[in-house]
Order: sequence, then structure tokens, then C-alpha cells
Amino acid sequence: MASTDALFQPLTIRRCTIRNRVMSTSHAPSYGKDGMPQLRYQLYHEEKAKGGIGLTSVGGSSSVAPDSPAALWNQLDIGEDKVIPFLQEFSERVHRHGAKIFCQITHMGRRTRWDAENWMATIAPSPLREPSHRSFPKEMEDWDIRRVQQDYAAAARRLKEGGFDGVEVLADSHLPGQFWSPHVNRRTDGYGGSTENRSRFTLELFEQVRKAIGDDMVFGIRMSGDELLDDGITPEEAIKLARIHVGQGCIDYLNINCSHVYTERGLANLIPNMSMPVAPYLALASLIKREIGTVPVFHAGRIPDVNTAARAVAEGHVDMVAMTRAHIADPHIVNKLREGRVDDIRQCVGAGYCIDRIYVGGDAICIQNPATGREATLPHIVPKGQGGKKVVVIGGGPAGMEAARVSAERGHQVVLFEKAGALGGQITLAGKADWREGLNGITRWLQGQLRKLGVDVRLATLATVEAVEAEDPDIVVVATGGHPNLNEVKAQPGHVVSTWDILNGTVAPGENVLLFDDHADHHGPSVASFLVKRGSKVEIVTPERKLMVEVGMTNFPHYLRDLYKSKAVITPDTRLTEVYPEGNKLVAVLVNEYTDEEEERVVDQVVVEHGTLPDDEIYFRLKPLSRNLGEVDMRRLRDRLPQEIVRHPDGRFMLFRVGDAVACRNIHAALYDSLRLCLTF
Amino acid sequence: MGSGGVVLLILLGALGWALIGVLGRIAGWRAGRPAKVDWLAGLLALPRRYLVNVHEVVARDRYASTMHVMAAGGLVLALLLVVLVHGFGIASPWLAWPLLLACVLTLLGAERVLRRRADRPPRLSGGRWNRFGWAIGGFALGLAWFTLPATGVMADPGLLHPVSLAFAALLAWSAFELADGLAHGPMRHALAGALNLVTHPRAPRFSADRPVAAIHPIDLDAPRLGVETPQDFAWNRLVMADACVACGRCEEQCPAFAAGQPLDPKFVIRAISMAQGADHVDDRHYAGRRWPGLERRVGEGGAARPLVADGGLIPPAALWACTTCRACVEACPMMIEHVDAIIDLRRFQTLELGAVPGKAPAALAELAAADNIHGRAAARRMDAFVDLDLPLLREVESTDLLLWLGDGAFDPRGQRAMRAFVQVARHAGLELAVLGEEELDTGDLARRLGDEAQFQRLAEANIATLARYRFRRIVTTDPHVLNSLRNDYPAMGGHYEVVHHTAVLLELAEEGRLKFQPGEGQAALTYHDPCYLGRWNGEFEAPRRLLDLLGPGRVEMARHGRTARCCGGGGGAPLTDIPGPRRIPDMRMADAKATRAGTVVVACPNCAVMLDGVTGDYPAVTEVAELVLARLAVPAERVAA
Repeated sequence: MASTDALFQPLTIRRCTIRNRVMSTSHAPSYGKDGMPQLRYQLYHEEKAKGGIGLTSVGGSSSVAPDSPAALWNQLDIGEDKVIPFLQEFSERVHRHGAKIFCQITHMGRRTRWDAENWMATIAPSPLREPSHRSFPKEMEDWDIRRVQQDYAAAARRLKEGGFDGVEVLADSHLPGQFWSPHVNRRTDGYGGSTENRSRFTLELFEQVRKAIGDDMVFGIRMSGDELLDDGITPEEAIKLARIHVGQGCIDYLNINCSHVYTERGLANLIPNMSMPVAPYLALASLIKREIGTVPVFHAGRIPDVNTAARAVAEGHVDMVAMTRAHIADPHIVNKLREGRVDDIRQCVGAGYCIDRIYVGGDAICIQNPATGREATLPHIVPKGQGGKKVVVIGGGPAGMEAARVSAERGHQVVLFEKAGALGGQITLAGKADWREGLNGITRWLQGQLRKLGVDVRLATLATVEAVEAEDPDIVVVATGGHPNLNEVKAQPGHVVSTWDILNGTVAPGENVLLFDDHADHHGPSVASFLVKRGSKVEIVTPERKLMVEVGMTNFPHYLRDLYKSKAVITPDTRLTEVYPEGNKLVAVLVNEYTDEEEERVVDQVVVEHGTLPDDEIYFRLKPLSRNLGEVDMRRLRDRLPQEIVRHPDGRFMLFRVGDAVACRNIHAALYDSLRLCLTF
Repeated sequence: MGSGGVVLLILLGALGWALIGVLGRIAGWRAGRPAKVDWLAGLLALPRRYLVNVHEVVARDRYASTMHVMAAGGLVLALLLVVLVHGFGIASPWLAWPLLLACVLTLLGAERVLRRRADRPPRLSGGRWNRFGWAIGGFALGLAWFTLPATGVMADPGLLHPVSLAFAALLAWSAFELADGLAHGPMRHALAGALNLVTHPRAPRFSADRPVAAIHPIDLDAPRLGVETPQDFAWNRLVMADACVACGRCEEQCPAFAAGQPLDPKFVIRAISMAQGADHVDDRHYAGRRWPGLERRVGEGGAARPLVADGGLIPPAALWACTTCRACVEACPMMIEHVDAIIDLRRFQTLELGAVPGKAPAALAELAAADNIHGRAAARRMDAFVDLDLPLLREVESTDLLLWLGDGAFDPRGQRAMRAFVQVARHAGLELAVLGEEELDTGDLARRLGDEAQFQRLAEANIATLARYRFRRIVTTDPHVLNSLRNDYPAMGGHYEVVHHTAVLLELAEEGRLKFQPGEGQAALTYHDPCYLGRWNGEFEAPRRLLDLLGPGRVEMARHGRTARCCGGGGGAPLTDIPGPRRIPDMRMADAKATRAGTVVVACPNCAVMLDGVTGDYPAVTEVAELVLARLAVPAERVAA
């Protein structure tokens, strides 16, 4: 325990004492409703406060002005007074559990869309196009500068009235940072040119914010310590900027990150995924802290475990360590650490599913914790139930492990059959694709919980009807997953192989490989990366208009980098229809999705990714023996109510299917299926 | 010469012999340091101390109790009557018959003594104790023979009658065996035992209400600090050591002995007794069990020689294996204070020699530097509690209840229990204040490790701090803190009402200020008594009553209450860390597991750390306040911090 002691030393900034050094930085979970932090948003953060976190900073990129639309990722709109009652309710909710609450406010400048919400032109120091949102901004004139500064100050005042402990201005890549970065600021007036001139906008701004909030409230900034751009903010420039602004005396802390978010590649670097090492930018934050020294430094950036967090603080690199995604995976990290239950912490694996979802228009949910963002209806700690039932789970993939875990937490006696020699199912398979190895952390946690809960896990055991009946179960959950679907391409058996075959090693990678990706998720590109790293020349073909439509911004740039570096060929808008042999080669027939024009490739190997079909044999054998004949009341499932359908009163057990045994989906869907179903057992 | 005259002659001879021995022994006692003794009060209290306090302990072993009533009662009665019958020659059947009956009673007692010896439990010493039954029996038999004529059932056969000669020889041997034993053998327990009850240095332990188990302070300006040789003990402590009946009940209860660590509380006391009677002695003839793991060791010492040394009668490791749990003291029918002796001996080792083993010197050094054994800055004591916004006494100046955090505040396990207590207390509307960084370690650990100087320094500082504020009671989750403030501070001038948090929680629950979830269907739990709440402060009931309010299903471990086994965490034992083949906390968790309870409830931060640290398939360890918090009718997480 001693090694994590450093995390439990409170930090006092002005009159705000944060109980420990663990925080969650402001981010946009896309839970805002009408620009307001309503129940879902509040409960999401309250859970972290309940879980012992020191500081939760909310409202990533909360809007201060109409031309910085909050609607984009369902952000918060702090630009109007009507938000104040919501803020008051929110801060009380977090304070109740002893945590502190800050909020970020921002004007996104050019980093937003002109066609969102109010349809106003985006603004920037200079009229340079922003690549990520494809916006052409208006060059700010004097009254733009004035009104935006006033908007910031007014928003900060609203937070103070809302009972918040602190306010954070997001500098990096947003309007303040756009003034700072020579990459964006080409002005020739008093707001451009030298570092001092580029700082003029923010110096004026910070003074107004401090004046609006008075002396008690904490005020800090989040800035990039290195934009990783040739003409951007370098570490030297960042230190200079930090020194100028800290020296002004208005700001109380520096929240340091790295990279920029003008492009998708920049964002993928800013929010490191599982292909990157743990805490990749800690040294940068440490540098700023050493150079500035007078104010606390906060830092986020793939710090998934308490040991890394403790080291970051104990060695003096940073003052507050942000475990933002780590708290999405497990909002109770601090309590578990305090209680000596480190093994129970569900550690973030860095899949980036949470953040990726908001960039494809969804809400932030955790790949491995279905309760996150659903606090109103799903508990993070499964409540003990009546127990007393015998539950048989068939299959040890994510759906099966979660079903077993939740059933056991409810107090039931659980037997889990897994035909393979280890738990994990398709997670294990996906984890074989090089840097996706981190996914195995999901299995590791679930497996540890099953061991603690005393679930009878029977590995290398095929569940037959007899074996299931021998257990005399009250409930049977079929979580058998599926098998690769190769039916949609016309070919003789053996002429096409699945992505599973490649990852499992049952088929050696060929020299010239055509990979047909009709899934648009991680499967295709991760297997393509796997192939190129083993020396294959790969063409990846997809009927979509680009690769990886379903893969978000923290992941696809890494795949593209790997593929382009290895000279892989990417062919969009094209479908593989047929494969036939010719000599010792294979001919792959490709059809353009828009012209129906055919072309052929002569290759050594054709790999097809087209999802899975359910392994449902045992389900259909058990179905006639069950009370409900496998039927699910969908409304009751949605509303987390117990399933009560009886179609066959003589049946001995209730029978349910979960995960890919129903239909091909993903890890989160599998876990969510099981959690909401088994909570009612 | 009539046979009655023979009896008189033998008895006078034996008496003379006894007197010479006893005077020698008294001279030995007088070599000890002076002690303040209230003789009158002690003498007046003697009957009660003997009949109530001693009897209560003796009676726990029914066999031994009956044995002692018969043998000792018969012998005392016989000796009184023998003065009349044979001393004054009053040959009345009215006296002779009772004397004969007393002899028969003694004889029956002796039979029980011998029967027990036939299959001697290892805790009992052998050697001269093996002859003790024969001596008592022989004495009773001889006396009976020479008393028969006075009853009138037979004529006096005369001394020269062969049978009379045989009985005279038997009587002479047994009388001299007993008389000699009064100074040098088993009979010494009667004399020293009675004297110990009169001159006992801990008079309060005999009171009917809760025991006050203070450790006696020492004068830090004295030329020698603590005890090096037997003569460094106060004289009444030497008497106390001589009271030992070598019954080994202490040995049976000692957790360190059971764990195979080289501590045998009986041997500690016997060694003091052995050494005080001679200029030079070795323990080769010691007839009890020996230091576990050091069975072949030979120790030597004497009245003016060091007791604790590598070749001394007491090995240093024995001293430092003690958890100061007082199980030995509680078990002792002779009211011997083993722990006091060990603390006195430790004081010399620590203050004069600096010979503290293991990690204890580091802890004491931290204590000297930072006023807590963790070496943390004083302000860090509040780290785990900042979000609870506990008022500082420095700011509010007065409070009803002062929460003493203790050094458990630096430890995550201790913090959990304290936080839980604060949450529950607040939930019930109780106002608490803390000293914050003004609070220093109470000095409890230093005192138990023999570092009396640090204890006194810290006690004086804390007492000065407390003098600045007004409060009614001090509450703490740590029984060691409780004991220190309640029992050790008065002698330093600090008088406080100190309560354990379990007592406060019980008050709140009984006043109806805490509402609990329905208790049915909860898994069984068992309560582990903290030594410093239980044996040291006599509080066994309040935590149990509190737990019973949470619901049914409390079960007891075989060793609970006064005989509860220590967790191994007391007296600095985890720091001195004397190795043994077993670990005390493992044994305690095995005790808990044997009850089949799912949870073992602790009420002390040390117990929590020790028992929680036991790995394997054992019951869960929960602190009382944590359990109460979890069982509140209002979900715990809704209790505002």
C-alpha cells in the first residue's frame, strides 16, 4: 500500500482542498441534453465522487457563446443563465460525497462546424481552414475579441453561482490556443506575431475571468505542452507561454497535454490508445512543472493504473494525476485502492471505445463497463439478490463471463461451461492482433471476479444437453458466440479463409493477400496490420467508401499509419464476389459498388471478414426443454424487469441467449446483454 | 516420650527450618527496590482478594479448584488444630476428631494432586512439584496416626512401636519437605502468594468495576532505568514472582508461545524467582517447559546479575516476542503481572542498552523525529479526512466529543474504519471535532517498547495541548489510544473520560438514532476482542450488544472475551518481529474460521491490519464501524460525508 500513499495527500489550491490526487479531466461524454447537465450527466459524475475521486472536472468544451455550438457532441452550454440551477444541483450532488467539481469552458473558434445549432460562421485569429471540421473561419475583428472575452467571464461567473469549485479554460486547439499557435495565428495586429502579442488575447481574457469569479474560486487552463507541429507550439514556446500567463497571477494551475486536435491524426496522438505506451506524455508535464514550479500541474494521458498514477505524483512529475478513461471503466478506483482491493479495479484497457463513439455521433460508453453512463438504471456494484438459484452459463466469452459474474453477485450458484481451454472467447482472438493485446485486460478482470465469486468454471468442457440437465439448473444462459461467416463470397471451401484463421494461426499468412472487409470495424484493419507485419503484401478491399467507418478517431489513424507505412493497398467501394483457383494461385473477382464494373486480382490468399453467425446448436436443443422456449420479453428486458414468459410450464428452466450467440455485435453489446438480463435473476 | 511430643518436636523443628529459609528469602526480597505499600489496606483486603479474585480464576479449572480446597483447606485446618491438640496437649476428642477429619481431607486433596501428576499435562512443572503431593499426603497421614489416640479409638502405641516409628519418619520427612519448600519449594506459593495479595502493586485490578490497567511510570532521572537484575525490581514484584505455582495457565494462553516464538511467560516469572534467591544459578534444573525453539539453551544469572542477555536466564527474544496482550495475567491464579515485568525488563534494554530488535528502532527514531511512528509530518494526519470537513478544536475551541485519530490515521486500513465511524456518527447527528496536526502519537507504543522517555515526552505534550480546550469526552477507534489516554495519562496529570467508538455507536443505537436494515438472513459473524479493549479495559459487552442490534447470527470463537487470543499486533510485536514457526494472526483467523462465520468483526486498527493480512480461505475481516455503516437502513453511500 505504501507505494500509493502519494495519491492520498490532499492538495489545496486557494481555498479548495482536494482530498486526493486522483482526478477526471473535462471531457464530452455527449450526455448533455438541451445543453444542460441533466440527470444522466450528473449521475455519471456523481458515481466517481461516490467512488472516492478527489476532483471531477466536467463539461469538456462547454460552450460560452452562440458561435461555439454546444450541440455538436451534446456539450454543455454555459453561455446562458438558465444553466445555473442545473449547475447548482450538479455541484451539490458531487460535494455530497466529498469530491470537488470543476468545469471547463471554451470557445472552439474554428474547431467546430458552421452548420450546427445556430448556423453561425466559425471564427479564428486568422481565416485558415480547420481540417477536422472542414470549417473556413472568419478572421476575428475587434468586437469579436471583446465579446468572446466577456462571454468567457460571464460563463465563469455562472459556474461560481452554480457552486463549482473551479473553472478551466481550454487553450489547446481552441480559441486561446489558436491565438497562441503560430500554426493558426497569422495576424499582424497586436494579437499576432511575437509570443507576447499572441498572448494578448488570453492575458486580457484571464484577467476578466479572474475578476468575474473573485479570489476564492480556482481557475486553471488546459494547454498543450507540444503541438507536435513544425510550426506549432513547441515545448520551449509552451514554457514561455506558461510563464507569461502564470506570471500574470490569474491562473492557479496548468493542465498539460500533448499534441493538437486540428486533425484526426492529431487527436489520436492527444488521446493515446492501446497501441501507445502507458503515460506517454508524463515527461512533458514533468518538464513544464519543473520549469514553472509555482503552480500545480495536472496531467491526463493514458494513465490506466494506480501504480503509474502514484509514481507520477510520488516522483513529483505532476500534482494531480488524471485517470479520466480509467474512471469511465471503473468510477470506484479510489475507494477500491483505499480498501486494499486493487485487484477489483476494472482497469481501462485503452480501447478508446468511449471517445470514439462520440465522434460517430453516439454517447460515451465503456467497452467493458455497461453501467457507465447508465447510472440511472444500471448499478456499478451489483446488489446482492435473493440468490438460491442454479444458473448454468454456456460459453466463456465476454457475454458468458459477465452473465456468470452478475448471476454470482446476485447470490446464485453458477456453473460456466467453456469448450476452449481458457476464458475470453473472441476477446482472446482479437487480442492476438498485435497492439490489440490490451483487450485481454477485459478478460483478466472478469476472470478474477469469477474466481473471487466462486463460480464453477469448467474449461475444455463441451456443454451437452445431458451435461446441462445434470446440473438441474433454474436458468440457462447460452453465450456460445459465433463462427466466421464466409457464406457471402462464392468460393470452394478452403479458397477463402477467415480473419479468425489468420489470428489463430491455423492458416499461415500468404505472400500476396487480398483481405475483404465487409464489417467496417476493427476486425479487418487489425488483421491487415497483423498480415503486413508478418511480411504479407496486402490489399484491403471494402464496399464502404472508406475503410473503418465504424472505427473512431483514437484508433483509425493508427491503423492507417501502419497500413500506409507497409505499402498496403486500400481499395474502397468494391465488393468481393467470387474466388476461384487458377494454377497454384487464386483469382479474386471484385465488383465496383457504383458501376458494377468487374476486375480481378491474382493472389495467394483471400481473407474474408464478414462477421459471425451464431453457434446456436445447443440453444435450439435446449429450447424445447425450457419454460420460456427461449422467448424474451423485449420491453421487460429494456426496462430491467424479470423475464416472466412461460410457454412450456413443464419446462425445467428459463433459457436465454446473449452476445454473439444472438447476432454478431461487439464486446460492449455482449456485456450489456448479460448485465441487464442477469441483474433481474 | 509420648507420641504427641514427637509431633510437637518434628513440627517445631520444621518450623525452625522454615523460619531460617523464609528469613533468607525475605532478605532476598528486601534487596529489591523500595515500593510504597499500604499494608493496612492490603491486609484488610486480603480475605476478599483471596476468596473472590483468586477463587474466580482458580475455579475456572474445577479439578484444580476442588484439589486446592481439599489440600490447602485441610492443611490449614490441620495446622491450626495441631497447635491445640499437640502443641497444648489438649487431647479432647472434640478437637482430635476435627483434626483427624482435616487430615483425611488433606489426604484426599493430596490424592488429587498425585492423580493429576500421574499423567502430568506439559504446562505443569515437574521436579520438586512431583514430590509435593507425597509430602502433603505423608504429612496428613503421619499427623492422623499420631492423632488417633486423642480421639480415643486406640491407645497410644508409644513412639517405639514400629508403626509409630514409621509414621514418625514419614511425618518428619514430609514436614521438613514442606517447611523447606516454604522458602525454596512449592509451599512458597502460600507465603508469597498471600503476601502478594497484600502488597500487590496493582490494587485497582481487584476492584469490582472495570480494571485500570496502567503501566507504572518510572523516574527518568533514576541512576538505572528499568530492570537489569532481579534486585532492580521493586521488592513486592520479587514477592510476586515467588508466588508462582508453576501451573502453566499463562503458558497455555500465551499467543507467542502457541506460535512457537521463544516466549514462555511462566519461565519469565520462574526465572526472576530462580535468580533472586542465589548469587549464581543456572536453569539446568528448571522443571517446566522451556523457551520454544530454544529448548537446549542454558541460561544463568543471579540476584545481582543481568536477567536478560544472550546467556542470561531470559533470552532477549522472549522479551520482544510479547504482544502485551495480558492473556497470561488474566489466566494467572496467583495474580502475577507478567506484562509489567516484561515492560520493566524492556525499559532497561531500550533506555540503557538501546538493544531493541527488528524495525522497532526505526519506528522509535521516526517517533522522535516526527511524533508518530510513520515519520509523517503532523499535518498529514488529516490527509485521509479532508473531505469530511472535521472541525479543528483549534478553531472551535470546545466540543462535546473529541475524536482522537491515532496513528491509524496514517494507514489505509485504519482510515476506513475512522471514516466509517465519522459517517455513522454524523448520520446520527453527533458533532465531532479533532485536534488535527496538534495531535501527537499518545506514546503508547513507545511505552510498550520500553521507551518510557518518549512516552513521557509525548504524554506531556498531548496533555498540554488538551489543557487548552474544552471537551466532555474523547472518542477513538483505537483501543491502544483509549488505554493510553484513559489509564496511562492520569499518572502524568491528564484525566479524561475516554470512550471507544463501539460504546458511542451502542449509545446511538440504543437511543434509536441509528436505524438498521432488517438483520435476518445475514451471514454469521464472530467478534474478535481487542486485547486493549477487553482484558486491559474490561469492555467485552458493548461491542457485542451493538452487533446483536444489527441482527442475529453472532457466534463466539472458542477463545473469546477474557481468554480471547491476541491478533499478534500489540506491544510492538509486529515491529520487533521475533520469528516463529507459526504466525499469531494465522492462528487467530483459524480460530475464526472454526466458527464457520463468514465475517470476523474487529474493533481495533491493529487487529484489522493483522487479521486482514492473513491470506487464504478465511472469513472476511470487517471493522465494527464499517459494518454498522454498511447496515444502516439508509444506504451507506447516501450518508453525506
